[in-house]
Amino acid sequence: MEFAWSPEQRRYRDRVRVALDELLPDDWDEAYVPESYASDRQVEFSRHFCAALAERGLLVPHWPKDFGGNESADWDHFILGEEMKGAGEPRGPQYMNVNWIGPTLMRYGTAEQQKQHVNGIASGKVIWCQGFSEPNAGTDLAALRTRAELEGDHYVVNGSKIWTSYARTADWCFLLARTGTARKDVSIFLIPMDTPGISVTSFPGLIKPGHLNEVFFTDVRVPVANRVGAEGQAWEIVTHALAYERVGVPRYHTGLDALDLAVSQLRREGRWDDDPIVRAAAGRIVAKFEAARLMTYLVVDQRVKQMPPSTDANLSRVVALDAVSDLMNFIAEHVPDCLAGGDVLLEDYYRINVPAGITGGTNEIQLDLVAQRGLGLPRV
Amino acid sequence: MDLQLTEEQQALVAALQDIMQDHAELPQERRLSYAWHDAGLQTLLGESGFLDAAREIGPLEAALVVFEAGKGIAALDTIGCGLVAPLLLPDLRIEGPVALVDRRDLGKAIRNLSISGTLLVDCGEDVALLPLAGFAIDSVDSIFAFPYGRFAERPDLSSARRLPGAGAAMRQWWRVGIAAEMAGAADAAIAFTIDYVKQRHVFGRPVGSFQSVQHRLVQRHGWAKSLYYLTMKAAWSGAESDAAIAACFAQTGIQSLMFDLHQFHGGMGVTIEHLLHFWTYRIRALQAEAGGLSASALAIAERRWTEAGSEVDAVPARVAGL
Repeated sequence: MEFAWSPEQRRYRDRVRVALDELLPDDWDEAYVPESYASDRQVEFSRHFCAALAERGLLVPHWPKDFGGNESADWDHFILGEEMKGAGEPRGPQYMNVNWIGPTLMRYGTAEQQKQHVNGIASGKVIWCQGFSEPNAGTDLAALRTRAELEGDHYVVNGSKIWTSYARTADWCFLLARTGTARKDVSIFLIPMDTPGISVTSFPGLIKPGHLNEVFFTDVRVPVANRVGAEGQAWEIVTHALAYERVGVPRYHTGLDALDLAVSQLRREGRWDDDPIVRAAAGRIVAKFEAARLMTYLVVDQRVKQMPPSTDANLSRVVALDAVSDLMNFIAEHVPDCLAGGDVLLEDYYRINVPAGITGGTNEIQLDLVAQRGLGLPRV
Repeated sequence: MDLQLTEEQQALVAALQDIMQDHAELPQERRLSYAWHDAGLQTLLGESGFLDAAREIGPLEAALVVFEAGKGIAALDTIGCGLVAPLLLPDLRIEGPVALVDRRDLGKAIRNLSISGTLLVDCGEDVALLPLAGFAIDSVDSIFAFPYGRFAERPDLSSARRLPGAGAAMRQWWRVGIAAEMAGAADAAIAFTIDYVKQRHVFGRPVGSFQSVQHRLVQRHGWAKSLYYLTMKAAWSGAESDAAIAACFAQTGIQSLMFDLHQFHGGMGVTIEHLLHFWTYRIRALQAEAGGLSASALAIAERRWTEAGSEVDAVPARVAGL
């Protein structure tokens, strides 16, 4: 076992930090971060930022050379994501592009799709949204109702998607739609968001603005050439795609930063040094985030070594959520003013994490998967 | 960053597991005991060199020994004589097993005192070393699954050998040991429970098929697995802050672990002929040691917010937005 970073990894992290220092505007923390990474402002900023990252070879370094990458080590890719998350994820929605949309198209897309989209993603200027969830199909994706019916050389799409982050400013949608009557007759389509018949409605919520959108598809015509894979192949493709997402974002970085902010506020207010109960509560949260950190590293390490698939990625999300949940409670108990006009960064942390147990696969699904596939507990 | 065991570490673990496998059965005459100290196994671990791992190989390997031994059903001393004493006194051989106690608890029942050759006393700044030969020690009956003993007369520490300034190091390695033994015992107790809920049927189906049981077992499994890595990192780094984090995480998770595991065994879980308590009440016994949860949590806060930060900071926090 070795818990230190190699000199090469430290140098790589330094390189990423230099890029962040040079590319982020001086008022990044004050003006951009509080608006949240799904805000129109941050999404638009990501087009410039990611293009600049691409020029430095820091947008898709882990990709194959044929697709504009440098085939860099998996740990480097992880370090890149860790630093970006720690900086407030200035890549905005483009973290999805580089983590799974691009790699998915490399594997399942046609040559034409790869030429158009993979190159576009590697340029850092294209925004995608993910058209998966529907009002009656979130965790149970197979219940989705949006339909794509073949008419000649086009599909005609009707239906709606919801919780679609970035939909207001996205250029393209990675859409799941039903193409048959069986439960898993679902296919994937790549649709320009300016296609006639698509409309986006945003609505307020507990999360910060930009995340909660509903996308309506009314007789939207999509060329057959925009289908990814065969009809009905969506499950295989999505399973592959989301495997890249399972480790999830490194939540310990932002969590510990938020905890530091809360502690700073408590010290300024004279509510820290003389209150061992508050200090102990904060200490316990640090321990939980460090546990989440090591579980995440474990999963990356397993991938780097190409070990057999396990449910440790699911388990790491469960462990991380526990820490996040404790921190949200700490914030609400000890610095509640941040949700009412106080520290905007703490408010951002809290509100972004309101759906932490839902996004990217609910906590209950993670628990089911570990119970049955990891621990071998019987299904009903 | 490499979270897999090296070949040498795997060999160490495999060799220890072989020995533990030969001592996995509870003797029939101890079936209704609260605790079972396997003196033969304790001696064998010492003679086989496993308890010298801290000196001969390193702290991480010593923590692995504590972890693996913790999976067994027998109460042993590996924390004291396999981790704390050799790291505190690398050049001094002392009579084992080694009991550990906070000075304020010297007059109370002390874990492993009745089987130990030496007592290390955490006196705050310093440590007192007390060879136990010649002291009258009364055995104490306890629900905890360790042997306990109490001094017939409270010893006078004024003539005991002092280790000036060693208090922090003692608490640090004690915490690593607590975390390692808890991780091992929890791992075994969870595996025992999983096996039980697969076999035990209620309402015509296995207990383990109920989602309420499954989810909680996964959460406890996640805690135990995380604890293992936190412990190994603390042993690897030798950093006080990492030791506090490992112990804090261990002592934080006990409440849910104890409740859930005993709950899932139903009525069987409150008997002592059912084996569960041999692991869970060892864990319970470690809950308050080295200052307990509050002290470890406060130590974390102290390190993070009033000092320069962790000695080995795997990923220094970048000052930036969220």
